[in-house]
Amino acid sequence: MSIMMPAADQAVLDRRGEIVAALRAIVPGEGVIDSAAEMLAYESDGLTAYRQPPMVVVLPDTTEQVAKVLKYCHGQGIKVVPRGSGTSLSGGALPLADGVLLGLGKFKRIREIDFDNRVVVTEPGVTNLAISQAVAHAGFYYAPDPSSQIACSIGGNVAENSGGVHCLKYGMTTNNVLGCEIVLMNGEILRIGGKAAENAGYDLMGIITGSEGLLGVITEITVRILQKPETARALMVGFAEVEAAGECVARIIGAGIIPGGMEMMDKPAIHAAEAFVHAGYPLDVEALLIIELDGPSIEVDELINRVETIAKGCGSVTLQISNSEAERNLFWAGRKAAFPAVGRISPDYLCMDGTIPRGALPKALARIRELSEKYGLGVANVFHAGDGNLHPLILYDANKPGEIEKAEAFGADILRCCVELGGVLTGEHGVGIEKRDLMPEMFTEIDLNQQQRLKCAFDAQGLLNPGKVFPTLHRCAELGRVHVHAGKLAFPDIPRF
Amino acid sequence: MDTLKVRDAKDVEEVVRAAIAGEQPLEIIGHGTKRAIGHPMATNAVLDVSALNAVTSYEPNELIITVEAGAPLADVQSLIDAKNQQFAFEPMDSAVLLGAAAAGTIGGMIGAGLAGPRRIRAGGARDHLLGAHAVSGFGDSFKTGGRVVKNVTGYDLCKLLTGSWGTLAVMTEVTIKVMPKPESERTLVLHALDEVTANKAMTAALGSPFDVSGAAHLPAAALRSGAEAFGSLAGAGQGVTLVRLEGIAASVAHRAGSLSQALSSYGTVDSLADAASAAVWSALRDVRPFAANGTLGASPVWRIVCPPAVGGTLGQALARETGGEVIYDWGGGLIWAAVPPGADAQAALVRKQVEAIGGHATLLRASDEVRRNVDVFQPQPAGLAALGERVRASFDPKSILNRGRMKRGGAA
Ligand SMILES: Cc1cc2nc3c(=O)[nH]c(=O)nc-3n(C[C@H](O)[C@H](O)[C@H](O)COP(=O)(O)OP(=O)(O)OC[C@H]3O[C@@H](n4cnc5c(N)ncnc54)[C@H](O)[C@@H]3O)c2cc1C
Repeated sequence: MSIMMPAADQAVLDRRGEIVAALRAIVPGEGVIDSAAEMLAYESDGLTAYRQPPMVVVLPDTTEQVAKVLKYCHGQGIKVVPRGSGTSLSGGALPLADGVLLGLGKFKRIREIDFDNRVVVTEPGVTNLAISQAVAHAGFYYAPDPSSQIACSIGGNVAENSGGVHCLKYGMTTNNVLGCEIVLMNGEILRIGGKAAENAGYDLMGIITGSEGLLGVITEITVRILQKPETARALMVGFAEVEAAGECVARIIGAGIIPGGMEMMDKPAIHAAEAFVHAGYPLDVEALLIIELDGPSIEVDELINRVETIAKGCGSVTLQISNSEAERNLFWAGRKAAFPAVGRISPDYLCMDGTIPRGALPKALARIRELSEKYGLGVANVFHAGDGNLHPLILYDANKPGEIEKAEAFGADILRCCVELGGVLTGEHGVGIEKRDLMPEMFTEIDLNQQQRLKCAFDAQGLLNPGKVFPTLHRCAELGRVHVHAGKLAFPDIPRF
Repeated sequence: MDTLKVRDAKDVEEVVRAAIAGEQPLEIIGHGTKRAIGHPMATNAVLDVSALNAVTSYEPNELIITVEAGAPLADVQSLIDAKNQQFAFEPMDSAVLLGAAAAGTIGGMIGAGLAGPRRIRAGGARDHLLGAHAVSGFGDSFKTGGRVVKNVTGYDLCKLLTGSWGTLAVMTEVTIKVMPKPESERTLVLHALDEVTANKAMTAALGSPFDVSGAAHLPAAALRSGAEAFGSLAGAGQGVTLVRLEGIAASVAHRAGSLSQALSSYGTVDSLADAASAAVWSALRDVRPFAANGTLGASPVWRIVCPPAVGGTLGQALARETGGEVIYDWGGGLIWAAVPPGADAQAALVRKQVEAIGGHATLLRASDEVRRNVDVFQPQPAGLAALGERVRASFDPKSILNRGRMKRGGAA
C-alpha cells in the first residue's frame, strides 16, 4: 500500500483522554465511541485495502452538536474526518490516527416532502434509496442512483457528487441538489440555496458538491425530485468485438438519442455476472450493451426500434428486447451485481473509475488488456458506456505478497491512460486517497494551488479531512501571496484601441 | 480608457500581471453586451477577450464543444445547429432587454449564466459547463474540469465561474455540453387564468410524468406590452399560461393529449405547433414584453428566482404594490418584474417580498445612477457574504477583475 497519510501529531494523541471528555460534554451517552473494539467498525470505508482506526468516533445528532464539535476541534487544532455510510471507493472517509471521525449516521430524518415545489429536504444520513421510497407513493423519485443506493447516504452522495446508471439522462448529484445547511470547520452554520432553482451569489452549492468532505460538514440537503417516467424498456445487445459495441454507442448518441442508461460489460464481466445471477447473458460475445429507454410507451417503442436498427447496423450478434418489467430487471440484474459477482471469482479486487471520451473506448480497452498481461493480473470491465465512465475491476489476492502493490500500479497506469486519451482520473467515485497522488497527471501545480486556495476560504487551518484529494498540502498564507511582476511596462505589446 | 485586445492566454496573463503591478483594476468583456448589468465600475482599462474567438474542437458524437471564450455565441449556435444540436439551457439574448446590439460571446454567456425556459428540465449554464481554462487574479492560467461529461476530479470550479460576472477569473477557453435538438415541440395554451391559478396549473403540469420543458404565464398586461412578439396569443386581451412539450413527434402528440386532459379543469386547452411554439418561447426567453425599445423600455427590470409553487402569489403582490408588470417562467420559479422608473427601482419593497418566501432578486436593468444606489445582486446574510468574499479573494485577492461589479462599493 503505497499511499502515505499525514503523520499523526503526538501532542494531540497525548491529550486523547481530555479530548474524549470534551466531546462527551458536547455529545452525551453513546454518541462518543472510544473503545478500540467498537471503533473497528469505522476503520475503513469501501476502499478496504486501507485501514486506520480513528482517535475517537463522535456521532452527533443535531446541527448544534456538529457545530460545537467542530468549533472545539478548530480551537484545539484537531483534525476531523466526516463520514456518511462509509461506502466510498476512494478512501474519502478513511480515518486519521490523530483525528476525530465525525459520523452523520444519526441524521436519519427526512425533514420535509414538498411535492408542489418538487423537492425533499433531508438530513444527510438518510440513504439515497430511502428518499425515492419516501416519495414513491406520489409517483416521484430521486434520479441519481449509485449502485450502492441501499446503503450510501445522501450526504456522502453530495460530498462525492455521485452518479449512477441513469445519470446519462438525468445528471449527477450536482444537477439534482438545490441547497444545503453546512457547518464550517470553525463551527459556523450556513444555509446555502433552498427550494429555488438557483442560489444567490456565487454558486457555492456547486462547489460543495463533490468537495469530498474537505470544505464543511453537510447537515441538511434539499434535493430535486422527478416524476417517474411512464414506462421503461431495455435492449440487451451482444457484439463479437468491442469496437463494434463502441461504435454502436457513438451512433446512438449521434442519432440524437439519450437513453436512460447505456452500460457495457466485457467478456470476463459477463461471465462473472452470469455465473452469479443467471440473467441469461450470452457467453460467447466480447461485449454486451444494456440500453434502457424510458418515457411514454409510444416514445419508448419508437426509440427501441431505432436503437435496434442502429445495433444491427453495427453488427450485433445477439439482441433481446425486454417485454416485461421482470425481463427488464433481469437484464439489469447481472450488471447491478457486477461488483459482488467479480468478488466471487477473485479474493480481492480494485475498482477503478476513469472517464474517457466515448470514442476512445476501444483504444482504452485494448490498452487495459495489454496492461493486464504486463502485470499478470486479471481484469473485468464494466462501463457506463453512455458517458465514457470506465470501471475496470482489477483482480488480485491480498494474501499474496506484493499483489496489492501490483494491482495499484496497474490501476494507476489505467488512469494515466484515461488522461492521455483526453479523459479524467475519476468520473464518480472521487479522488480521496486512492487517486490523490495521481492528481499531477491531470493538473499542474498552478491548477492544484487554485483549488487549494478555495479550500483555504472554507478551512484556513486545513483541519477538515486532510490527506485527501491533494498530493501536497500548502499553508494558506503561502498560497494567498500574490507575486508582483514588477519592473515591467504596463500592458506591453498588447493591441490597444 | 485603454481597451486591451488580447490574442491568447499569454496576453491575458500579461495584462493581469501588469494590472496587479500597477494596481489597476480591469473590466473584462466579451462583446460587452451585458456591460449594463451589475454595478458601474471604477476600472480604468478594459480587457477585451473577443479576439479569442476560435472553435477549438467540436465533436457532435461526444456531445461537447470546446471554444475560445471570445467566440461569438451566434456563430457557435449556428455551428451546432447544423448538426441538430443545441445548448439545452437556452441562453437568453439579453440584448433585447438591454438595448444592446445583437451580439455576445460564449464567455459572456457563461459569465452571466442566465438560462432560459428549459432550465426546469435541462438545468442551467452551470450544468453544461464541463471544463475551462482561465486566468485568475494572480495572473496565472489554470484549468478546471475536463472534456468529458462525467468528472469529479478535484473541485468543480466550473460552477463558480458560471454566473460570476468576470469577478473570479478571465476564461480563455471553455468546454460545453451540447444536446440533440428535439425533433418536434408543441405548446399547450390555457386562457384567462389569474396568476395564482396559473401557478397551480403549471405546478400540476410539472408534477406530471409528461416531461414538460417549459411552463410560463403571461398576465394580460405583459401580453399587451409584448403584443408584437406574441402575435395571435395577444389577440384576446387575456393572460395566457403556456406549457411546452418537446421530443419525437409521436411522443409529443401523446403527451399533449394526456396533459390536456389533466389540465382540462383549468379551461379550454389550445395548442401551438412547432414554429409557432418556438417563436413564443424565444420571445419569452428574451423577455420581449420588457424590451428596451418597447413601451416599458424605461422601466427597471428585476429578475427574481424563488420556490416555483409560490411564484404566483409573489408576482401578484409585486405587481400590485410596485404598480409594475410581471412575467412568470420556470413554472413560477422565475419572475421578471418591470417596475415604474424611480430612484431606487423600489428595491426595498421588492427585496422584502422576495426574501420572505426564500427567493432572491437581481436588478438586471436600470440606469447607471440607480445601479449606483441600489444593490444589483441580492445582499446575503453576513456569514454567507463573508464566505463569498473569501471565495472571491481566493481567485483574485487584489480585486483586479471587474472590481465592484457584484457588490456595491465592495471588492467584487
Ligand atoms: C458496491 C458499491 C457500489 C457503488 N456504486 C456507485 C455508483 O454506482 N456510483 C457512484 O457514484 N458511487 C458508487 N459507489 C461509491 C459510494 O457509494 C459513493 O461515493 C457514496 O456517495 C458514498 O456515500 P457514503 O454515505 O457511504 O459516504 P462515505 O463513504 O461515508 O464518505 C464519502 C466521502 O464523503 C464525505 N462525507 C460523507 N458525509 C458527509 C457529510 N454529511 N458532510 C460532509 N462530508 C461528508 C466523507 O468525508 C468522504 O470524503 C459504490 C460503492 C460501493 C461499495
